[in-house]
Amino acid sequence: MIAQQILNGLVLGGVYALFALGFTLIFGIHRIMNMAHGAVFMAGAFIGLFAVRLGLPLWLALPVAMIGAGLTSILVEVIAFKPLRKLALADAELASIISSIGAGLIILSVAQYVSKTQTMRFPFGTVPMDAIKVMGLRVTSLQLLMLGLAILMVLLLAYYLYRTPQGRQIRAVAGNYRAAQLLGVNPNAIFYQTFFLSGALAGAAGVMVGLAFNSIQFLMGEPFLLKAFVAIILGGLGSVPGALVGGLVLGLLQSLSAAYLPALLVDAVIFGLLFVILMVRPDGLFVQNLPESATKRI
Amino acid sequence: MLDLIAPHLPLLDLIFIGTGYALSQAIVFRAGTFSVATSGFAALGAYAAAILTVTHGFHPAFGVAIGTLLGLLAGLVLSMPLARLRGVYQAIASLAFVEILVALILYFENLTGGPLGFHNIPRVVTPWMLFIAMVATMGLLILLGKGGVGRAFDAMRQDPAVAASLGVNPSKYHVLSFALSGAIAGLFGGLDALRNFSLTADQFGFTILIATLSAVVLGGRRTVIGPMVGVTILVLLPEVFRPLADYRQAVYGLLLVVVMAFLPFGVYDSLIMKLRNRRLARAGMVAGAVAT
Repeated sequence: MIAQQILNGLVLGGVYALFALGFTLIFGIHRIMNMAHGAVFMAGAFIGLFAVRLGLPLWLALPVAMIGAGLTSILVEVIAFKPLRKLALADAELASIISSIGAGLIILSVAQYVSKTQTMRFPFGTVPMDAIKVMGLRVTSLQLLMLGLAILMVLLLAYYLYRTPQGRQIRAVAGNYRAAQLLGVNPNAIFYQTFFLSGALAGAAGVMVGLAFNSIQFLMGEPFLLKAFVAIILGGLGSVPGALVGGLVLGLLQSLSAAYLPALLVDAVIFGLLFVILMVRPDGLFVQNLPESATKRI
Repeated sequence: MLDLIAPHLPLLDLIFIGTGYALSQAIVFRAGTFSVATSGFAALGAYAAAILTVTHGFHPAFGVAIGTLLGLLAGLVLSMPLARLRGVYQAIASLAFVEILVALILYFENLTGGPLGFHNIPRVVTPWMLFIAMVATMGLLILLGKGGVGRAFDAMRQDPAVAASLGVNPSKYHVLSFALSGAIAGLFGGLDALRNFSLTADQFGFTILIATLSAVVLGGRRTVIGPMVGVTILVLLPEVFRPLADYRQAVYGLLLVVVMAFLPFGVYDSLIMKLRNRRLARAGMVAGAVAT
């Protein structure tokens, strides 16, 4: 029983990790809280669904959804964040939160119009529903797919960030924006790349959540955005490996507390944990040096 | 004249209450804290007023008074852990506080009605009471803002270290801003509860938190009038764009994006700043020297 819950938790955690990675990537590199990230995640699920409805197989619909969500994310950067870059850092922090909330609302509104406020589902049989038994645990092929994809994406992201010239430029901008610019890094290109990566990860998470819960609607991003804060803070805001571990821990915690606690208390426990972590280790469990913005006034 | 206004009275209610919440949010911003706990304080005030009035049969005024006090106490308590954090970390911690409260309201069903909501609340609060509460709060904040407290808040926001070196005790004013924020939100939460027949926990969740935050930043976060301007715009916007009712969210979102891009300090504050700079320029001073 408990082993089964742990397995379910890990699968859910993989999805949380994908969502949290995209959010933390933007924060770590640009010091921006992207409140439209939940809307980008939802857009990914929508695009994936429409691709499947058009007759594409899932293995093709998923990359289509990721590219679509990545482009949506670039759109958010262009309309919500780019105009604010002229402001001083302290003023931009608050303004960019509000303006990304606005961008998120615009995306939500488009999705509401497209879906006519209905909950939509993937057609039956998009993924084979058969379950296999491994050492007494029931594993569906969907769960295997989700876990496998989550691991693959994290590895790809890590490779891109730490083993390619583009990744080096991104890390240079994260380390010192001005110095990177002086050394010939084009900041706009970096912004587009990171927002695309972040959106693509959220899009993949959106498709998987749509498949796992078999329900896609325009408000599906909001609870994920709230829960993602727990995963992100747990691992350290802005830390890529931290978001991965934080997502997995959050998935485990949610699945275990849902099994052993009254359903209405699960959220209280999760957000209580968030509060406690912020008090004891605001820089997360893994990050050694506090990001600059943690000590900056608004 | 009255016939003209009567159908829009509910809108006035929303503006008065929304302004109360927005002022509670703005006061912590002014003191340089990025907390978004207002809707949590409001939830405490609202449920305290409703439970005391309906379940225990106390006079509504007593219920609202206790709600205000509870908001104030919650502000005092929350100010301590939040003093250890900065910037977005404060925002996330206060968001967690609000979400914990909402979850607990849902859990303690026999006290709060849980997910079904709290019903049969007498409607005793009139628009006039709300108006008086709003004007009184604004008056108090303007008075405080013009005096030493306002100067201390401004100094702390601009540079806590310099403020401390000039003899401003940061922790004292930090606690004061939270006590004010909690009491104001508790008061308006209590009034809100006794105006609406029923209460649900969702009323105080993420949605209202975002609406309050948007109103403050949209109107202007450094003046007392700014939050009211923001709330009025956001309440009246759907009425003005009634033909576009289906696209209400999109219009709302577009407004937030456009105002932030062109008037990043909010509609009212940016206007005031421009007027002041022009006046100073005419007086022979260098324009832009007082940009912040």
